[in-house]
Amino acid sequence: MTISGITLPFDRRTFFKLGGGAAALTLLPDGLVHAAGGTSANLAMVGEPQSLDPMASTADLIGTIMQHVYETLYTFDANWALRPMLAADMPTISADGKLYTIAIRPDAVLHNGRKLDAEDVVISLKRWIELTPRGKSVGTTVDAITAKGAATVEIALKAVNPSLLSHLALPSGMAAIMAKETIANPLTEFVGTGPYRFVERKPDQYTLLVRHDGYVGRTEAPSGYAGKREARLTELRFIPVPNANTRVEGVIAGQYQFSDQLPVESMKKVSGASGIQPILTMPYGFPYVVTNTKQGPMANLGVRKAFQLALSEADMLLAAFGDEKFFATSAEHFPKGSPFYSDAGASSYNKADAAAAKKLLAEAKYDNTPIRILNSKQYEFHNRMALVMAENLKEAGFNATLDVVDWATLIQRRGDAALWDVYVTHSAFLPEPMLSPPQLSDGAPGWWKTPAKDAALAAFNGETDAAKRGALWGKVQQVVSDEVPYIRVGNFAALSGATGKMKGYKPMPWPAFWNVDLG
Amino acid sequence: MASRLAKRLGGLVIVMFIVAAIVFFLTRLAPGDPAALMLGDQATADDIARLRTTYGLDRPLFIQFGLWLAEVVKGNLGHSIFLQRPVTQALLERAEPTFFLALFALAFATLIGIPCGIASAVWRGRLVDQILSAIAMLSASIPSFWLGLLFIQFFAVRLGWLPVAGYGDPGAPLAERLAHLILPATVLGIVNSALIVRFTRASMLDVLGEDFIRTARAKGISERRVVLRHAFGNALVPIVTVVGLTGALLIGGAIVTETVFGLPGIGNLIVSSVLRRDYPVIQGALIVVAGIYVIINIAVDLIYALVDPRVRT
Repeated sequence: MTISGITLPFDRRTFFKLGGGAAALTLLPDGLVHAAGGTSANLAMVGEPQSLDPMASTADLIGTIMQHVYETLYTFDANWALRPMLAADMPTISADGKLYTIAIRPDAVLHNGRKLDAEDVVISLKRWIELTPRGKSVGTTVDAITAKGAATVEIALKAVNPSLLSHLALPSGMAAIMAKETIANPLTEFVGTGPYRFVERKPDQYTLLVRHDGYVGRTEAPSGYAGKREARLTELRFIPVPNANTRVEGVIAGQYQFSDQLPVESMKKVSGASGIQPILTMPYGFPYVVTNTKQGPMANLGVRKAFQLALSEADMLLAAFGDEKFFATSAEHFPKGSPFYSDAGASSYNKADAAAAKKLLAEAKYDNTPIRILNSKQYEFHNRMALVMAENLKEAGFNATLDVVDWATLIQRRGDAALWDVYVTHSAFLPEPMLSPPQLSDGAPGWWKTPAKDAALAAFNGETDAAKRGALWGKVQQVVSDEVPYIRVGNFAALSGATGKMKGYKPMPWPAFWNVDLG
Repeated sequence: MASRLAKRLGGLVIVMFIVAAIVFFLTRLAPGDPAALMLGDQATADDIARLRTTYGLDRPLFIQFGLWLAEVVKGNLGHSIFLQRPVTQALLERAEPTFFLALFALAFATLIGIPCGIASAVWRGRLVDQILSAIAMLSASIPSFWLGLLFIQFFAVRLGWLPVAGYGDPGAPLAERLAHLILPATVLGIVNSALIVRFTRASMLDVLGEDFIRTARAKGISERRVVLRHAFGNALVPIVTVVGLTGALLIGGAIVTETVFGLPGIGNLIVSSVLRRDYPVIQGALIVVAGIYVIINIAVDLIYALVDPRVRT
């Protein structure tokens, strides 16, 4: 064996026998384990999921893993249009928009071998309404959910809710359809209809899913999360690897077949490695900056408008992501092609006008009270944006201070209006406006509540016609720009890495591994 | 000897109570809320308050402390908020990688550190001493995360000899699991060997300057026997101390190394639990680690008595 020009008196095989035992050979170099009739994939994720109950939290990681186990009534296709999944078709909606009749697919089979029925759906949706924040918000408009026979469910609403189906389709805080006999709090059995079934979770080591051999999926062509789902891999092992560098090295060495959310700085390394494909998901999400409209200097609209004028969103994004491959400036909440695309409010985006901001500050009688920018280094890009933001603000005459804490502290502090003036966060890109950011609802940190907000959102949420909703969203976007409850900084991409052998993977915000194989 | 042991065990109880109190209150003084973290971004204040009540986090701190302490005395370290399992089970699941990592790293550090320390002392001021001292200084100065990444890059990525991270595939045999420890144990061994080299060298130099060594040499005993038997035997007390304390620290979890190598050990569990504000796990893990540390200290004290008869009196 030769290493860097030095010849050693044993071959590589002997080295392993000496060093790690013959068993270590099984780790080499691809790390794949070919089980009988299939292949396993090691998928390095950013951490350990809080829970495996998809209704216990809106954390994206739970949705990413459990969307393989559970399915929803509806889902999104590649263009973020709603498509049926466990529902046989799109629902029949009554003329007043308050009664949804949903036929359940008769061929859907649970992991325990039983056919899915309407009771499973009703009990699951009731649990979702009871437990999840999104479900609770939907629940305020729901009058009753009832089974009509074995294969039909009716959802009766007290008030029209045009975002109902989007809520039912989202993988995070998922309206997962579960086997009714397994429903409990906390959930101890994870029995759904997905292409994979749950086998074992070893916290901080792996979550193991195996192919659901009895799976009966849809027959339409795959598109986004919709259409045919085929479990080509025998096993999926979701491995928590919190260290980003280890995720990079692991996928390059072949120990992981997929590494999620790699640092953007590793793009060159991942692209240059042989047998590795870099995967860019764009848009993956959007960073946004929330203002405290309840207490402190930012409660003054004039100060918030000055804040908006002072910021250079382009510089913030550049500092955060380093390369234009990974971000895009965008005043619009939704991209062109989306029914919600609107450039309303774009005129106040990315102004970086310190002089005008200074003038506005004086008019607002800003008294030099410190503007505390709450941010966390646990998300490096948040901190880098905060640094640029602070400089923008100082230039405009703000007394800006950085309050850098860990994420757990930020989550707690943002709930107390006395402790912050601005905080930095981000959200995954979501196709329906009412899904994120939470400041569009009432009570979220920032506590934005004004007559203009209420009027714009009442009009938007009262309209069931999709075409009219698009135009009404522009009005909401304008109110957001006028009242500055938050500033959407732009869009950003996520970088992942996968072995070059991985075929069929489609970049999506919640990585999915059905229809994927390893060559 | 028995009274010495009894006295030390009595001290153990007091130390453990103080540790329990410090761990509990420091953990709670840190900002952050496990309920808010569990529920995610969309949770309302009501949702968070309800979950806090479920876990008893809304009760006064002293009541929480009393209830927790009463359970700890009964051997129950509590239930993890995040992992949804008893803390004892969570610790036991992670004991194997941490134990073997500590064992291998300590063995590596000792096997490297003691001979190098002896050589450095024997050839004091010569080239060998200077080289070994410089290497020891370098090893002590290198951050273990950096060395870990370097080793991953070279041995795992470039050469493809060893796994990058983790602790084996589901159901992997022990040999495969242990193969995952080669790189992290080597890194830890290198970093920790520096202290052993320095202590061995200093202790050996002290002893080599003693009259009885001169006498032994004058009696014509071979230099090898003088160094290894007479000098090393008498230099053992501080070496045992440093080896024992290094072992105790490693068993408590090599936090940085476990994180870099993605090992599901106790160090990794402590870090994750701090970030998740999983109070029962932080408290339980630190109590166990402190207990191990104190017990190893007592064991080291008892070993003193075995290697140095003067200590028995």
